[in-house]
Amino acid sequence: MLKNGVLKMKNEEQIKKDIETTFGELVKVHIKRRHRIKVDAPKNMTLPILAYLKQRGFHQFTLLTCVDWIKKGMFELVYNLYSLDYNVHVLVSTHINRENESMPTAINIYEMAFDYEREIHEMFGVEFEGHPRLGEFLLEDWKGMPPMRKDFDTRAYVEEKFNVKDLTKELFTRKEQPYRGPGSNG
Amino acid sequence: MKLFNFSQSRSLWMMHFCTGCGAMEMPPTMTSRFDMERFGIIPMATPRQSDLLLITGYLTIKTLKRVVRAYEQMPTPRYVLGFGSCTINGGMYWDSYNVIKKLELYIPVDIYINGCMPRPEAIIDAFLKLREMIAKGEANAWKKYIENYEWYKKNQSEVFDVEKWSIKNEK
Repeated sequence: MLKNGVLKMKNEEQIKKDIETTFGELVKVHIKRRHRIKVDAPKNMTLPILAYLKQRGFHQFTLLTCVDWIKKGMFELVYNLYSLDYNVHVLVSTHINRENESMPTAINIYEMAFDYEREIHEMFGVEFEGHPRLGEFLLEDWKGMPPMRKDFDTRAYVEEKFNVKDLTKELFTRKEQPYRGPGSNG
Repeated sequence: MKLFNFSQSRSLWMMHFCTGCGAMEMPPTMTSRFDMERFGIIPMATPRQSDLLLITGYLTIKTLKRVVRAYEQMPTPRYVLGFGSCTINGGMYWDSYNVIKKLELYIPVDIYINGCMPRPEAIIDAFLKLREMIAKGEANAWKKYIENYEWYKKNQSEVFDVEKWSIKNEK
């Protein structure tokens, strides 16, 4: 931050100390490497941390991603923030259950989250409470399981949708009689 | 008829509908380095005034709806050129949930270029080949679409709702 014309840089250690003193032991802060901090937070602490960080110079909401940990039965939501003042990335990560658990929306803090939440709702099926427009976004006329979940079987889906009996054989091996267009049964 | 075919082959207006990564190979082909205009091929913005449709790479189902729509608006004779392995069998998207595998099931294709992606030389080569085919009267894929219209519509309806995406006659 600029104070009295002097650039006061905060380093990773100081940011870590700030978060730990404010939020206590519920939040775990790791310094992954230079310029990168990861914050593991419980679900109800996530939005307060985002609001706190936004006040302290993390003005850029870079990305919201989702990781499907199918063996644990959890979705990990990662909010990527960046500060131009300190040149530091902060990844705020939180875990929610794969089934029947929703996450409060972050659009009141960062407006940029609007489309990312729509995308994650469509690709993973995560519900965001309070989001005004969770609906069809990138996929058109999609029915059934969201495609980015780990238990979505792509090959079975492709074989059914595109009417292919055995994907690896039908598309890659050369048949004795090549396909001759409509009219032939090839 | 011979004269008609000859003049058709010397002036192809290419529709500027770029999908997938082949769109990256088009600018050098169009501009001064490879300069496809010396073969009488120029890009055109609207399907209603163009003869040639390039499918430059993979097609998602979402794009296929628009491509079919654009293709049906083109005046006959119309030609389709499939770029790269994605249009032949899905290419590197062979197990993707939303990329179509064989283009020729949905619209008829005159000529394919293999490769991932084809170089501009290969594209020019395909243009010359297509020109030859048109001059000889061999590029007749558009007739196939009219003759086997129901077969194509059946295939299209397997991947998307044809009724919803067809051009409706306004009376």
